[in-house]
Amino acid sequence: MSKHRLGEFEELVLLTVAVLYGEAYGIAIIDEMERRLDRTVSIGSLQTVLRRLEKKGYLASELGEVTKVRGGKRKRFFTVTNLGRKALEITKDQRLDLWNSIPNIAFGD
Amino acid sequence: MKKNQPNHPPKLLLQFFRWYCNPDFAEDLEGDLYERFERRMASEKPGRAKWFFAKDVLSLFRPGIIRSFWPKSFLNPTVMLRHHLLLTYRQYRRSPNTFLINVIGLASGLACAIFIFLWIQDEYQMDRFHAKDQQLYQVMQNFPIAGGFETTEYQPGPLAQALREEFPEVESAITVCPPLGSAGNKGVISNGEKHAKASELYVDPEFFQIFSFPLAVGDPEWVLKNKDAVVISKKLANQLFPSSEEAIGQAIEWFRGDTTILFTVTGVFKDISAQSTLQFDVLLSYPSLAENSEHLRTWANSDPYTYAVLKPGVNIEALNDKISTYLQEKVSASVEDPNYKFTGTAFVQPFSDRYLFNRYENGRPAGGRIGYVKLFATIAFFLLLIACINFMNLSTAKAIHRAKEIGVKKVIGAQRSSLISQYLTEALLITLLAAIVAMVLVYALLPQFNGITGKEIVFRPTLTVLIGLSTIITLTGLLAGSYPALYLSKFQPAKIFKGKLTRGVREYWMRKGLVVFQFTISLVLIIAVILVYQQIEFIQNKNLGYNNERILTLKQDGNLRNQFPAFKTSLEALPGIEAVTTFRHDLTGDFGSTSGVQWEGQAEGQRIEFGNLEADYGLMEVMEIQLVEGRTFSPDFATEQNKIIFNEAAIKAMGLKEPIGQKIMLWGEPREIIGVAQDFHFESLYEKVKPCMIRFSPNNENILVKLQPGSPKEAIVAIEETYQKFNEGLAFEYRFLDDDYQRLYASEQRISRLSRYFAALAIIISCLGLFGLAAFTAERRAKEISIRKILGASAASIVQLLSRDFTRTVLLALLVGIPISYLLSQYWLQSFAYHIEIQPWYFLGAGLLLLLIAWSTVGIQTLKAARTNLIQALKDE
Repeated sequence: MSKHRLGEFEELVLLTVAVLYGEAYGIAIIDEMERRLDRTVSIGSLQTVLRRLEKKGYLASELGEVTKVRGGKRKRFFTVTNLGRKALEITKDQRLDLWNSIPNIAFGD
Repeated sequence: MKKNQPNHPPKLLLQFFRWYCNPDFAEDLEGDLYERFERRMASEKPGRAKWFFAKDVLSLFRPGIIRSFWPKSFLNPTVMLRHHLLLTYRQYRRSPNTFLINVIGLASGLACAIFIFLWIQDEYQMDRFHAKDQQLYQVMQNFPIAGGFETTEYQPGPLAQALREEFPEVESAITVCPPLGSAGNKGVISNGEKHAKASELYVDPEFFQIFSFPLAVGDPEWVLKNKDAVVISKKLANQLFPSSEEAIGQAIEWFRGDTTILFTVTGVFKDISAQSTLQFDVLLSYPSLAENSEHLRTWANSDPYTYAVLKPGVNIEALNDKISTYLQEKVSASVEDPNYKFTGTAFVQPFSDRYLFNRYENGRPAGGRIGYVKLFATIAFFLLLIACINFMNLSTAKAIHRAKEIGVKKVIGAQRSSLISQYLTEALLITLLAAIVAMVLVYALLPQFNGITGKEIVFRPTLTVLIGLSTIITLTGLLAGSYPALYLSKFQPAKIFKGKLTRGVREYWMRKGLVVFQFTISLVLIIAVILVYQQIEFIQNKNLGYNNERILTLKQDGNLRNQFPAFKTSLEALPGIEAVTTFRHDLTGDFGSTSGVQWEGQAEGQRIEFGNLEADYGLMEVMEIQLVEGRTFSPDFATEQNKIIFNEAAIKAMGLKEPIGQKIMLWGEPREIIGVAQDFHFESLYEKVKPCMIRFSPNNENILVKLQPGSPKEAIVAIEETYQKFNEGLAFEYRFLDDDYQRLYASEQRISRLSRYFAALAIIISCLGLFGLAAFTAERRAKEISIRKILGASAASIVQLLSRDFTRTVLLALLVGIPISYLLSQYWLQSFAYHIEIQPWYFLGAGLLLLLIAWSTVGIQTLKAARTNLIQALKDE
């Protein structure tokens, strides 16, 4: 189990990539995260996490088409792999499991 | 896009990003950066956008994004080294000529650099052996003269004590006093019947605590405590006593001037090394000297030297001001005239700096010997550079031979870095070989070098020398090897194997430029040789206003002083001697000076500094100083003490008309002008002739003996015999005045001799390089030459064909070198008040000489090429 453990930020990045399905490249991910989560994301921390997740096999990437903007540089689009999806699901299950095990009395309901 | 203008992110930051970024990520990340930047440019001020861009670039500079800086493959270093060495060996076995040229060139360059390094090292070591060197200062005084300051080392006698007692910044201070008014004259030290000449210093008891002169016998703290103590050198102790130990407690007689004093030996110091500027044989007590001389106890006189050990961290500028104010106050108060205000200032200079920074301008150290140190360091650098250029040129020229080797290596997978390291190893190896040859050369030629420079340098592997040598060798190797290494490793294998390795125009010019540079330096050095030689000739043949030939000079030492009239009479009776006279000074820069002269028509506040020479009867006749009018001092007249003679410059400066018979006031006493002397040079030719006066003073320290033309040897023997009659057992020491005059320009003569060697070396090394290049050209064009010959070209026309290129190179060097050397010549000559005019032939002659040397170098090669067997060159294809 331990090998599928995701950090909090890693989990958020993976989820955002999944949300942006097909349109997930660096800037778009930052925009989406900042909009939805109300937090600032630095390009440096995001990119290191993206590369790390790709190395672990949770993300795959391919380069897009050359456009006139961006100084003529291509975008790198990320997609969540099956392994990544599995890791997300495991994390989600673990959370749910925990939620479900909370005795009612704990939150005073 | 609101703004329709091409705004780009800061280039430098982008370059930084491209440098550090992992190449796998570089494209899309740069695109992201770009996109964010463009977006911000549209919505915000450009400055802010750029600021955010910088933030992004820095934010990406973290592990995970930064590329790996390790080389991709590791090669076993020892195996590679062996491989490099083997290839170097093969390479040079194939072309031994190149090998010899490189080794000879680099070895001579290195030998020169090592010599100069040793010399500079020795210069820097002067006076630095004292344990308190870092804190040891000498107090200097700026004495106001017309138009500025004269900086002297002489201080009022009480200054050291005042520094000790009233200046908290000063740890300790002492007075060191040379024998007063003796002009280098020695005293005589005697133990019973054993006598020896010795020069003494009068010092305070703390002398050995401030200066680290080692004692052979005695306690540094106590040896000078008593006023009748004397500390003598080991050499003297051995001359006068059976051993140093037995000297202690013995009484010795010290005989100087008219007085003999008894002292007790309390210590013996080891002989002073040549690396000390303070040289002495005997140390006596300064407090006892001061007791007997009133002028040493007043502030109005400046005779002794003052040395001080300062506390660490003292603010020197503030201390200088403090001492100056103190000095002005004390000196002004000690002069009786209430209107007198002393305006001189004082400053402290690190004692060990005084050797190298011994010239002063406007009361501040302004260079001196350090100038020569810099000059020679520059020359050493350029000579090494010339030798390195040979290596570069020959390596790149011969690159074609190695192209295939490089190609194969690269195809097999050698990286550029390993090729670079190969060629650097090669260069370092050659440099190392050359360095060994150079060190043998240095070892063998050191006595000659010491002879020229007047030093006593020993070539020993001390730490400094080892560090210096390895630095010189490594830098030379890297300098020589770096260009070829970068150049050769750049070859592209595909081009090499297609045979399309074109030699670029740039490379051609690079090589040509380097040769031009070499010959420019050679030219500058040749012109320097001519110039220095001409100037020295000029100095030696210049009419000085007096004649210093055949004049022997000796000091009035021992018994000569009180028995001088008898000595003089016996000398005059000797055959071969024309005349005998005495002189307080010499004409090579030793003279007193004063501004205490008043004359009729003197303007208010006008002060002239007069040179003050003291002469005996007959001096002006012996020296052949010409009179414009009047007479010289003569025993036929009484009261010559009240008379005075001026030179023309002085009369002009005072504006006197019909000076003979006029009275002037000197130090408050009237003197009658009896003669006007034609201007003569009483200082070196660096100085203009200044106003000067000649006073009458009988029986001075310097005895001048004018010899008759003919056989000086016999006369000298006769003088020595007479001298021995008066001073039994003392060494007879004499000099010739014209030699003294030559010594005045010893440093110029040294430069003259050294520059000749350096110029010769520069030419030889440059020509070696040219020789190698010519050989290479001839080799490459062997087929062309052969075909030309078959078609009927004569040997002469082929030599001409091959020389044309080199001639042009040398001509270009002349074009560059002549203006440079013209400016340098002017600069150097300006330091002389009397100098030669720069003649065009210096440049033409030097240029022609260089051209001839280059032609003959190339000529040998081309002639050889023109005579080769055609079949040999054409048979293999």
